[in-house]
Amino acid sequence: MTPAPLVLDGLVVGAMLFALGLVGILARRNLIVMFLSAELMLQGVSVSLVSWSRHHGDWGGQMLVIFVLTVAACEAAVALVFVLQAFARTGRLDSAAWQSLRESNLPRVVDHELPASDAEALQFPRLTPAGVQPEIDEDEALEREHV
Amino acid sequence: MVDLDPKTLLVLVPALPLAGAILTVALGRLLGPRAHWPAVLSIAAAAVAAVTLLVGLGREVASSADHDHAASPVELTPVTLWQWASIPDAYQPAAATGLDLGDDLTAKAEGLPAAIPFTIGIDLRLDPLTAVMLAVITCVGLLVAIYSIGYMHDDPGYPRFFALVAAFVFSMAMLVAASNFLLVYVFWEAVGACSYLLIGFWFRKPSASAAAKKAFLVNRVGDFGLAVAVFLLWMTYGTLNFHDTLLADGSPLPGILGMERLADPSGYVAGGVGTAICLLLLLAACGKSAQLPLHVWLPDAMEGPTPASALIHAATMVTAGVYLVARCAPLYVACPAALTVVSIVGATTALVAALIGTVQNDLKRVLAYSTISQLGYMFASLGTGTLLGFTAAIFHLVTHAFFKALLFLGAGSVMHAMGGVIDMRRFGGLRRVMPITAATFLVGSLALAGIAPFAGFFSKDEILASLHARGWPDAHTEHHDADPHEGHAGLDLPAAAAFQAVSFRSESDGSAGGADESASTFRTLYWMSLFTAFLTAFYTFRAVFMTFTGPTRVPDEAGHHAHESPPVMTWPLIVLAVAATVSGWWLFSTHALADFLAATPSLTAPAVAATATPHAFHLDLALQGTFAAVAGIVLAAAGHFGRRSDGPQPERYLGPFETLFAHRFFIDEIYTALIVRPLEFVAMLSAWFDRSVVDGLVDFVARIPWGIGAVVRRLQSGLVQRYAVAGALGTLLIVLMLAWRLRG
Amino acid sequence: MSPDGGLSIVGTVLAVAVGCAAASLWLLLPRGESGLRERAARRFGMLLGAVALGLFVATGHRLGGVGEEATFLVVSLVAVIGAAATIVTRSPVYSAIWFALALAGVAGVLLVLGAQFLGVATIVVYAGAILVMFLFVLMLAQPTGMASYDRVSNEPLLSAVAGAVLLGLLTLFIGRLSAGPPSCCAVPTKAAALAGANRPTDESDEADAASEPAAADTPNTPALAGTPSAAAGSSPTTHRPSPPDMLARDHVARLGGELFGRHLLAVEAAGVLLLVALIGSIAIVSRTPPEERLEARPRRASA
Repeated sequence: MTPAPLVLDGLVVGAMLFALGLVGILARRNLIVMFLSAELMLQGVSVSLVSWSRHHGDWGGQMLVIFVLTVAACEAAVALVFVLQAFARTGRLDSAAWQSLRESNLPRVVDHELPASDAEALQFPRLTPAGVQPEIDEDEALEREHV
Repeated sequence: MVDLDPKTLLVLVPALPLAGAILTVALGRLLGPRAHWPAVLSIAAAAVAAVTLLVGLGREVASSADHDHAASPVELTPVTLWQWASIPDAYQPAAATGLDLGDDLTAKAEGLPAAIPFTIGIDLRLDPLTAVMLAVITCVGLLVAIYSIGYMHDDPGYPRFFALVAAFVFSMAMLVAASNFLLVYVFWEAVGACSYLLIGFWFRKPSASAAAKKAFLVNRVGDFGLAVAVFLLWMTYGTLNFHDTLLADGSPLPGILGMERLADPSGYVAGGVGTAICLLLLLAACGKSAQLPLHVWLPDAMEGPTPASALIHAATMVTAGVYLVARCAPLYVACPAALTVVSIVGATTALVAALIGTVQNDLKRVLAYSTISQLGYMFASLGTGTLLGFTAAIFHLVTHAFFKALLFLGAGSVMHAMGGVIDMRRFGGLRRVMPITAATFLVGSLALAGIAPFAGFFSKDEILASLHARGWPDAHTEHHDADPHEGHAGLDLPAAAAFQAVSFRSESDGSAGGADESASTFRTLYWMSLFTAFLTAFYTFRAVFMTFTGPTRVPDEAGHHAHESPPVMTWPLIVLAVAATVSGWWLFSTHALADFLAATPSLTAPAVAATATPHAFHLDLALQGTFAAVAGIVLAAAGHFGRRSDGPQPERYLGPFETLFAHRFFIDEIYTALIVRPLEFVAMLSAWFDRSVVDGLVDFVARIPWGIGAVVRRLQSGLVQRYAVAGALGTLLIVLMLAWRLRG
Repeated sequence: MSPDGGLSIVGTVLAVAVGCAAASLWLLLPRGESGLRERAARRFGMLLGAVALGLFVATGHRLGGVGEEATFLVVSLVAVIGAAATIVTRSPVYSAIWFALALAGVAGVLLVLGAQFLGVATIVVYAGAILVMFLFVLMLAQPTGMASYDRVSNEPLLSAVAGAVLLGLLTLFIGRLSAGPPSCCAVPTKAAALAGANRPTDESDEADAASEPAAADTPNTPALAGTPSAAAGSSPTTHRPSPPDMLARDHVARLGGELFGRHLLAVEAAGVLLLVALIGSIAIVSRTPPEERLEARPRRASA
């Protein structure tokens, strides 16, 4: 039994989304973008599941997608909390900020000299964390790149 | 007890001490101060069993001797406990394999089956020689064990000591009861191990552990000889059993000392191979019995506890060499050249050790050199190759076991009282402090010096007689003819004929030269032995005078300890003193031992038995021996009671020789220069090779993973995303490979 | 579906597409460049990406004839371009917005594939809840200016190759699916197994199905082609039930029945999971690291 063309196309689209998500999660260093890429991979899987569901005439695929949505929501909630905590510690959203797992005698990997960016710094609306304004730690502030 | 089968008794003699040793090891800590019970009781029971065997066998010999005057062999059929090893068709006689082992071997191999299995059974055998040895071992062992209860009390290794003594008695009993050369070898090593452990009993003392190592290493040289001798014996005779055995197909396999071979004088290999076997066995005996040139370990072995010295290094273990040569008498008689070597080695050792003994100031070392010297006597006697020589050696072995054990235990008693001091210059006049020890020590000294009627006189007289008989065969014949009373149980064959037979054999073998040459050799040996007797008396009484006479002097170490030893120590001394007094006279006058030993199968071989001479008391020899001994005592007394009161000072008489004797003929120094230093150099080279080349290789191998790791560790950057990339690429690689395989 | 010769051409096209995709992604990903070089690389990358996309569409056309379904083509292009832009945009805020666009595309694809509820739910849950949460987080944790880590990538070349090769592999396997019945897919359809169970509810549809014979070519190839509207009434005239069932008018009702019928327990578990995630996030976010707490107190006291 050969799947119908639409199903195949759905599968291809799902594969593309999944592959792009993979590239994003492997290459991008911004934690937020990495999570967006993870969501992209979930989307790709969802599309594939729906295609197969349609092909087999079974609700199982769609059911699974519903639970994928649920899990994605949970994951986003918890993971974003971690991202926030990480940002609170380093002032960066950089996945390369944590290198403690490296061999003890290796130097820390740092970005080589970047040419000055000519792109104008975009300003987006910001939210201040609620509650008492924390004391600014000078040492920590020095470690931070941009705060 | 009397209902027990002799075979059961024979098994019990070694088995009981073994059980005692195991019990002591198992219960030693539990029993605490009573740890001696298992060992002492088991050795006592073994002694009873051994004496019962001796008496029973003695009766049998006596009854067989009544019928005909010839010494007929008496032997118990071997007891096979179990089969230790069995290899079918192990031995291919030279004729079958085509190996050229020389004419002698080929000739011997002709009568053998095509292929002989190599079977080693745990066989125990009893004959008069073994019975005598067993009795001596267990009786002396018992007395020493009882004595040790007092001597070793409060020693932290108390149970260990008794376990070792019991293990030694077991090993020694097995050694003399074994009916197989391989078993002999095994227990030869076992007694060596016990000796090592007992010399190094106080292993925290560096000198003791060094002495133990020295004894062990020097014994290895001898053990090597025994091992090669065993190999040669197997190649020559196709078996290692003493007794005759029946093969599986029913054909008889004559044992090396079996009746079949003994009956035929040509049953033993002579010539090169036979002499090699005999000399290798002699090498083994030299190691164990501390003969030149392997005697260096025995004086050092005195570092061990004195009871161990008395038991192992004076009375029993060191006689294993004498036993081995006596046991292999038929092999030796077939090779007169080897016999002469035995005698020369023995007499030389006796003289050299006696010379060294004259300048020793350590009481135990004097006794150690005297032991070496007396063992030399035994070897000299064995080397005569006559029945008289063999029995005299064993006779001297028995009496020596008693009086030397007595002397050692007496020395131990002195040492015990003096707080461990054994230097004779530091004490004196002890006869007032410890009368029993002094009296018994005097008895032992008289026996050792060879003063009638103490034991040593008779046994030494027999040894001198055996040497004299070889040196002046004609005189002996005349003497025999002039002797009005005929021997009690000797052969009717005249002694002259016997020596002619020996001479004939030596001439026919063409290896030992003529009878005259051999006689002149033995004349020299006789005079050497006589001079040794003089020296023996001198150094023995020098020790006695220094220790027990003169004003009473006690070293500081003794403190309040200077008193007579407890009864548990003095009673063995008294028993041994009685034995040392009466055993010689009794055994000589009744000829009980000689006749008994003459019934030993290996001594009834025609070649040996033909040399039997009627028992006779040689007055001239006895006078010569007594004169030498008295002269020695007088000289010692003169030196001691002369102008100076601090004992006889040999350097006054000896001059430059004193240095030579005091340094023990520089033999240790020669060994150090010739063997130890080159070995140390080789060891140094090996150590360098090991450290730089072998270790360098190992280090190099170890550096390979290290180097790989140094490169690969750069991948461990700690960046999680890099790990993720690697993981994804790896997964893709696997999927690609799977896809490639599914492609077809 | 296509002969062997066709397959080899498809394979070549696919290989070129994979290469173009990898190169395009590598060029587009931030690599710490700036100025003209960066702009040129991005333009070229976009061009290559377009070529790659076109090639993939072409293979898809050869494979399944997706070009005939304009709607599907449009929504899927939106989804893929949005996704690609998500991962190559420097600014995380723009990334999030591109992600929203990609979500819209995916929702469209889901709708085309006949999962109306899921399409809507994706929009609602993702775009309405999750994405907004992302944006909030971005606003909370936003460094000023362009961060250096947004301008460089981690192993861009290897990552791009990995993604492209994965895509190529998946496309190849999907192409195999269409080429013939491979052994791996020869599983009996679950629909057949469920046939008996669905039978009674199918009664009403069968009348409609009979009036539209166009979709029912053969019993063995269920009509999967077509928009939901077109396929809504298409149901096999034979006893074989199913795929069309899912495209029925009461699709959502059936989905709900299935969800709260067979999967009730899983739904409850999912609810618990949501609750746990909620509580867990609150617990974590309200916890300051212990060393910070220790250091903070005396400092505040001194100040």
